[in-house]
Amino acid sequence: MLGKCGLFFTSYRGEAQVFQSCFQKLMVGLLILALLAAPFALNVYMTSVMNLIFIAVIGAVSLNLLTGVCGQISLGHGAFIGVGAYVAGQCTLHGVPFLLAILAAGLITAMVGMVFGVPSLRLKGIYLAIATLAAQLVLEYVFLHGGELTGGSNGLLLEPPNILGFSFDSEARMYFLLFFFAAAALLVVSNIMRTKYGRAFISIRDFYLSAEIVGVNLFWYKLVAFGVSSFMAGVAGGLWAHYTGYISGEQFNIGLSISYLAMIIIGGMGSVIGSVFGAIFVVLLPEVLNMLANGLGGFFPDISHYLVALREGVFGMVLILFLVFEPEGLAHRWRLIKAYWKLYPFAH
Amino acid sequence: MRVGKIITAVCIMLVAGLMLFGCGGEEKESAETSKDNGPIKVGGLIDLSGPTSSVGRPYADGLTAGVNYVNGQGGINGRQISFDLQDTAYNVQQGLSQYKKMVNSDHVVCIQGFGSAVTEALIRSLAKDKVPDFSASYSAHLTDPKKAPYNFFIAADYSTQLRAALNYFRSTWKESRAPKLAFIYPDHPYGLAPIPAGKEYAKEIGFEIVGEANVSLKAIDATTELLPLKDLAPDFCWIGGTTPSTSVILKSAKNIGMNTVFFTNIWGTDENLPKLAGDDANGSYSNQAAAVYGQDVPGMKVIEELTNGEPQMTHFTRGFVSILVMTEGMIRAAANGPITGESLKTSLETLRDFDPMGLAPLISYFPDDHRPNMAVFLYTIKDGKLTFVKREILDRREDWLGH
Repeated sequence: MLGKCGLFFTSYRGEAQVFQSCFQKLMVGLLILALLAAPFALNVYMTSVMNLIFIAVIGAVSLNLLTGVCGQISLGHGAFIGVGAYVAGQCTLHGVPFLLAILAAGLITAMVGMVFGVPSLRLKGIYLAIATLAAQLVLEYVFLHGGELTGGSNGLLLEPPNILGFSFDSEARMYFLLFFFAAAALLVVSNIMRTKYGRAFISIRDFYLSAEIVGVNLFWYKLVAFGVSSFMAGVAGGLWAHYTGYISGEQFNIGLSISYLAMIIIGGMGSVIGSVFGAIFVVLLPEVLNMLANGLGGFFPDISHYLVALREGVFGMVLILFLVFEPEGLAHRWRLIKAYWKLYPFAH
Repeated sequence: MRVGKIITAVCIMLVAGLMLFGCGGEEKESAETSKDNGPIKVGGLIDLSGPTSSVGRPYADGLTAGVNYVNGQGGINGRQISFDLQDTAYNVQQGLSQYKKMVNSDHVVCIQGFGSAVTEALIRSLAKDKVPDFSASYSAHLTDPKKAPYNFFIAADYSTQLRAALNYFRSTWKESRAPKLAFIYPDHPYGLAPIPAGKEYAKEIGFEIVGEANVSLKAIDATTELLPLKDLAPDFCWIGGTTPSTSVILKSAKNIGMNTVFFTNIWGTDENLPKLAGDDANGSYSNQAAAVYGQDVPGMKVIEELTNGEPQMTHFTRGFVSILVMTEGMIRAAANGPITGESLKTSLETLRDFDPMGLAPLISYFPDDHRPNMAVFLYTIKDGKLTFVKREILDRREDWLGH
């Protein structure tokens, strides 16, 4: 082994790097290349699953910034994603170019998120959870009764994204678009975390009193956390809207908010890579269970009926098991695996 | 730093290049089944779990029984139907990914769908992939081929059903004053869908609309919502919900002594209602689109044979009819060439007064109008049994298409 058994930093700049070693940079580069090549190797179904994962990654990493990094729990994330979906949908329906529509979706969702984030100054923990739950319910009502704006119970039908005349009308084309946005979201959050704002968020999460004493303006930073997180949720919503081509209020219900919370809990609170793991896990879980049910169906004809009914139970079970055995999420397990192989075979 | 910039630039160019040239489109294998005598693949996207599974299960059983029946009769010109039933759990994301798998990996010719959430999310994809979908979501806007060219279903849409019931009650009204009408529905896309159409038509034929109330699908008591309605003394009350919420409303109405004729839409009453609401269910009316078990029609003999005389719910029958209609479309498509999603759609649009063995009203589809019919079976509950009252047929009015 030529490598050192640890990383030694001689400057703050070195320590704050996103990718700290050459090996890491190489691996990330290879991963990006592999992901770029993936749609050529995968079939359309697998590509569509990847697309769902990319959208989930954007949503999860934005919620992780708010809940995992800044400590402000939100049960309204699904509704914020919905706001972005409707704004982007209305924009493109009125002829606004796709990228501008996504930007508008982000900005307006950020505003909505900040409005609902105002109570966070006074409310903490479970109380804030209920306040954001109210946001979820209010927004769901608006989606359903928005008249022309939201299409009411009929929802909105949308065209696939179109950038400068190039239409992203196939799974593979959407793949590259969503990959770009997901990568951008991860980069943005990673970078926010190593700025003054990121440090302020973490200090608020760890103990708000200490944070205030060292001069962190609680209200401003909490509001920024809500704003940035909602901005990205809005982008995710805009992408989801144009990916599926149809949005209705039912899609952005409390279940969606819960599943995003589940993603960051399973993945690891406050960790960017954890958001990715969580998104992959939650999107793949039903697919894997389905495959299992179909596979076993050959041997036990009726098993798919039972497995199907069990799925919600399995999902809950997985959450509980994670909370008990892996409280720091998949990100922690990932760090352990990396540490194990770093010193293999001579671990301490 | 400069090296970093160069690497970034190269990466950006690589991504741009791949996006412009690389993805020239996914392999466009047509949904046509490869061999002329291999099985015809049909996908089923049904809510076998989740909030709507209590009606999704019998519907899926009906579909499966229908496929078995068609295959037992020799299939489509000797080709068997292979039916892949999957659970969507009333979840759009799950439905979408199942659909992608069915269409792109399994190359199904057609989908047998179910709930409104998934069906509506698929409208665009169905049109793009040219895959017809028979849903059990009977929303009126699915009948307009300009908006949903590949969506079909076998029952009159929710709005037509409501109008037909109103028409019936207006025609039986004897007093000189206008009959008073109230609407009870959940604040939910499914509940809201037929309300504007119902209000408009009620005014047109001379009802006086006195009030409305929202009762959630998950309600366990509706007294609070019904009390204001009771004072308004409506003669007729529409309930647009599901069987459990209907039973709650009927029981609460009985408790507060509300005296009105309740009538429900197609998912609001089934064989479980008398079990849930007991005697309170007697006297309520409902819209149905299929024969009930044991009714004296040719198709019911077939179903009784297939199920060994074990009573099935009306949802089962509708699933069965959905397969019969699809089969007729496939037989017609096969007569003109290979069976593809596109040819199936075209041949379905040639159906004129197709009789699904008497199990449902006659079915026609037109290239510019996918309303299967304008007919509704009105049933009432008498001594705990669904009892046939009348077949109400409306005109196929142009301005009602899609509304």
